[in-house]
Amino acid sequence: MDTLFLAEVTLAGLGAGALYALTGVAFVLIYKATRVVNLAIGEILMLGGYAFLGFAAGLGLSPWLALPLAIAAGGALGWLVERALIRPMLGESPISVFMVTIGLGSILAGVVQLGWGADPLRLPEFMPSTPVFIGEAYLAPKVAIGFVAAAVVIGLFLALFRFSRGGVALKATAADQGAAYSVGIDVPRVFSVAWILACATAAGAGVLIGAIGGISPTMGVFGLSVLVVVIIGGLDSIAGALVGGLLIGLVEALAGAFLGGEFKLVVTFALLLVLLMVRPYGLFGTHEIERL
Amino acid sequence: MTNTNLDRRQLLAGTAALAGMTLGVRPLAAQDGGDIVLGGSIPLTGVFAFAGVGIHAGIQDYLKILNDGGGIKGRKIKYVAEDTAYKVDASVAAFNKITSQEKVSLYYGDSTGFSKTINPELDRRGSMIMAGASFATELNDPKKFPLQFMAGPDYTEMFGILLRYIAKEKPGARVAFVYSDSEFGRDPIAPSEAVAKELKLSVVEKIVTPPGSVDVSTEVLKLRRANPDFTIFHGYVLAPIPEFVAQAKQMGMKSQFMGTFWTMDNSTVQRMGDSADGFMGVMPYRYYYDKDGSSPMLEKIRQMRPEYQSTGYLQGFVTAMLMAEAVKRTLDAGKELTGVNLKAGLNSIKDFDTGGLFGVPISIPGNSVPVGRIYRFDAKAKQMQPASDWIKL
Repeated sequence: MDTLFLAEVTLAGLGAGALYALTGVAFVLIYKATRVVNLAIGEILMLGGYAFLGFAAGLGLSPWLALPLAIAAGGALGWLVERALIRPMLGESPISVFMVTIGLGSILAGVVQLGWGADPLRLPEFMPSTPVFIGEAYLAPKVAIGFVAAAVVIGLFLALFRFSRGGVALKATAADQGAAYSVGIDVPRVFSVAWILACATAAGAGVLIGAIGGISPTMGVFGLSVLVVVIIGGLDSIAGALVGGLLIGLVEALAGAFLGGEFKLVVTFALLLVLLMVRPYGLFGTHEIERL
Repeated sequence: MTNTNLDRRQLLAGTAALAGMTLGVRPLAAQDGGDIVLGGSIPLTGVFAFAGVGIHAGIQDYLKILNDGGGIKGRKIKYVAEDTAYKVDASVAAFNKITSQEKVSLYYGDSTGFSKTINPELDRRGSMIMAGASFATELNDPKKFPLQFMAGPDYTEMFGILLRYIAKEKPGARVAFVYSDSEFGRDPIAPSEAVAKELKLSVVEKIVTPPGSVDVSTEVLKLRRANPDFTIFHGYVLAPIPEFVAQAKQMGMKSQFMGTFWTMDNSTVQRMGDSADGFMGVMPYRYYYDKDGSSPMLEKIRQMRPEYQSTGYLQGFVTAMLMAEAVKRTLDAGKELTGVNLKAGLNSIKDFDTGGLFGVPISIPGNSVPVGRIYRFDAKAKQMQPASDWIKL
C-alpha cells in the first residue's frame, strides 16, 4: 500500500474530525448542563458563518476583527435563546424542548435566507493558503488551521471544567441540579453560560467550516452529521466529542479513499449502530441508572 | 411575438365570426379564446432557490413580452406558480392545486423526482406538456416520457459536449469525473464513460462525494494520484468545487476544471474566488452580457432588467418561449391544445431562432435541445467568456 497516500488520507481525516469535534463540543456543553439536545446547533453554526460574512464583507471589517465579533454574536444569540425560549420551557417534557430547538433551527435558516438570499456564498479568504507539508504528506492549509483551532478550543474547555470555579459549577449542575442549588450554585446562570459558550463555539466552528466549504442557508445539515459524533462519543462528555469527532473523521476519510465516497455514510452509520449496541451511552457518556 | 394591433383585431373578428358560424357546436379548445395557463411548481425557497427565483422571473418576463405583444392569436398565457421549497411532495401538492383550479396546458416542474412522479399523471390527463429545471438523461426519452421536454441538452449531452471539446483540444486526454452521490450527480456518469471511450479519452478516476460533504481533502488526494488533464464536476452548484480546485492547485495539479449547467451561472463561478480563474463549463444559452453575434432577445432582456440575470433566469425564459412556440404551432395548425398536439407542435420546431438566446438555430427532435458552448471564466473581466464554437450533438 502507498504509505504516503495513507498518511495524507489520515491527516485529512483527522482534520475533518477536528471540525466535527469542535461542533460536537457545542452539543455537549448544552446537553451536559441542561439535558437539552439542541438540534439548532447546525443553524447557529450557519449563522456564525453569515455573521462573519456580514462583518467582514458587509461592514468591511478586517477578518481578524470579524471573527471574534461573529463568535460574540453566536454567544449573544445563545444567551437570548436560553432566556427567551429555553428557560420558560424548564420543567416541560424533554420532547417539547427538543421540538423548540427544531423550530428554532427552521426560523434561523429562514431568517438567513431572508437577509442574505438562498444562494450559496463564499467567505472572504483570510487564512493563509500556503500548503502544509508534514514530512512529505500534504495537508490542506484550511484543514490544518481548523485542526489547530479545534484542538486549542477543546483543550481550553477541558482545562476550564477541571480548574475553574465556573467549570466546576457546571459539572456540579450536570451531576445533580438539586444538590447544586442547595450548595448555592446559581443554576439558571450556569444554564445561561452553557448556552453562551456552546453557541459561541458553534459560531466559531461555522466560520471555519464556511471558510472551507462556503456558506448557504442549508449548511445547518452539518449539525446533524455531528449528532452522530456526539452520540458515539457520549452526549455529556467533552473528551467523548473529541474522540468521537476524530474517529468519525478518520473512518469517513479511510472509507472515502479506499471504498469510495458512497460508502462514507454507510460505514459511519454502521459504526454508530454497532457502538450503540455495545455501549448505549456512547464511548464516554455517563451510564445513567434510573431506579423506581 | 410581433403581432400588431391590426392583426389582433382581425384575429378577434375572425374568431368571433367563426364562433358565430359554429354556434351550437361545442367549440374546439383552440378557438375558445380563454387564457392559456402555464402552471409551475417553482422552488422559491430551499436548496434550489438560488435558481428558482431566477426561473420564476424569467418565465414572467417572457410571458410579459408575449402578452404585451398580443399573446398567441389573441390569447394570453397566464402564469400560475406555487413555491415548493424543492420538495417533491410540495411540488405534487402544488401541481394538484393548480391543475384543479385552472385548465393547465403547460407546466414547469422543479425536479427530476417531481417530473418522474407526475409524468404518468400527465399521460393520463393528456392535456398538457411539461418542462422544468431537470436535465435528467432519463427524462430525455420520448417513448417513456412523451409529454416532457427540457430547454437544453440533458446531463449526458452536456458531458458529451464537454468531452467532444476535450477530444478536440487534447486527443487521448486523461479525464476524471467528480460527482455528488445523488440522483442528479450520478445521472450522466455511466453513459458518459462510454462516450469518452468512443472519443478515445481515458476516464482515469471517478470520485463520488456524499451530498452535503464539506471537507473534500481525501477526494482531492485521490484526484491528485489519478493526475487527470481534465476534471469534470457534476451534481453540485458551488460547494465543494472551490475548495476542491483550491486544494488541487495548492498541490501543483495542472488539471483543467469544468462544470455543467447549474454550476455555470456567472455569479456562482465568481464566488469560487481565486479558484474561478480558468474554470470552464458547458452552457446552452448565451450569458446575459454576451455581445457576440446578434441576439435581439437578449437586448430586450437587458432593457427590461439592466442588472445581470442568472442562467436560471435564462432557463426559465427560454422554457417559456419554447412552450409558447409549441402553443402557437398547435393553434396555427388548427388543433386542440392537448398534450400530444402540443408536443407534436414542439417537435416540429426546426432551425428555430430563439432571438439569439441559443447561439445557433435549434431543433427539438425529441425531449431535449442538444446544443451548447464551452465557456471559460476570465478573472480580469469577471465573466464567463466563450471558449469554443456552438457544439451541436
